Amino acid sequence: MTSQTLQKVDHSVLKTNQIIIITLNILAFILNQWWLAAFVALMMGIGSALKVPGFGFVYKSILRPRGWMKPDVLDDNPEPHRFAQFLGFLFMTGGSVALFLGSIVLGWSLVWLVVALAALNAFGGFCVGCAVYYWLVRLNLPGFSKQPPAGTFPGMKPKASANV
Amino acid sequence: MSTEILLRFGYAVGIIVLGLLAYWLIHQHLLVRARNNVSALFTQLPNKPVIVYFTTPDCAPCKTIQRPALNKLSSLMGDKLEVVEIDATQRPDLAKQWGVMSVPTTFLLDARGNARYVNNGVARVEKLMQQLRTL
Repeated sequence: MTSQTLQKVDHSVLKTNQIIIITLNILAFILNQWWLAAFVALMMGIGSALKVPGFGFVYKSILRPRGWMKPDVLDDNPEPHRFAQFLGFLFMTGGSVALFLGSIVLGWSLVWLVVALAALNAFGGFCVGCAVYYWLVRLNLPGFSKQPPAGTFPGMKPKASANV
Repeated sequence: MSTEILLRFGYAVGIIVLGLLAYWLIHQHLLVRARNNVSALFTQLPNKPVIVYFTTPDCAPCKTIQRPALNKLSSLMGDKLEVVEIDATQRPDLAKQWGVMSVPTTFLLDARGNARYVNNGVARVEKLMQQLRTL
């Protein structure tokens, strides 16, 4: 393991973001509204550009101030999570474009793939996009430099609270 | 329109159920894997519940939370419980055999050596106690 400096990452923001993505995507499927999937893609894209979770504002402006969700601050790298969101944005964009062009199976498959990965992250604590990021680090790809927190399998949620 | 929405809702539920089923199967697979590798840990079963605890020397939550929780549990249960600690850096073969992806990971085995629970990440005293009660 390395002696890299980790940052405080509030996993409650990430979880909120994932749950909203899951909910909106399932709604888009049930209501058969491709534009709703495109909206999710847009928010993930904006989030990727601003280096924040796309729907993180819901947590910061509604859930946390009202005490409906508590911070879950862990020592972690934010970069893999940003990369994971960017990957999700690519899948969602691909899915939305496919739906717009009438490729229903491909479009909804991509949307459901994002739902599955977001659910695995939100409820299983495993971030596939982060695992891909750490895998790219091992391949010495430029721009990918962070190591997983000590004692944590690449992509798994770190278990130690930053304030422990 | 409403029929189509209901139909699509049904599809959505079906997909979610299939996903949950896949997740459950993976969890069960981990337990079966642990059961098949109990013999690598014991030549003779201790005939009491066992907690197999995977850790590493640089695992901070292991030191600050998991180890104290297991110490407390050991003092509460006395001879009725055995805790087996495995350093995954010293025994990567065991970590691989048991499917350990992060530390701390705790497996709870019943008195017959069957792996009944697996906790990926910190498991606090209350949770472990609750699991032990059902063994």
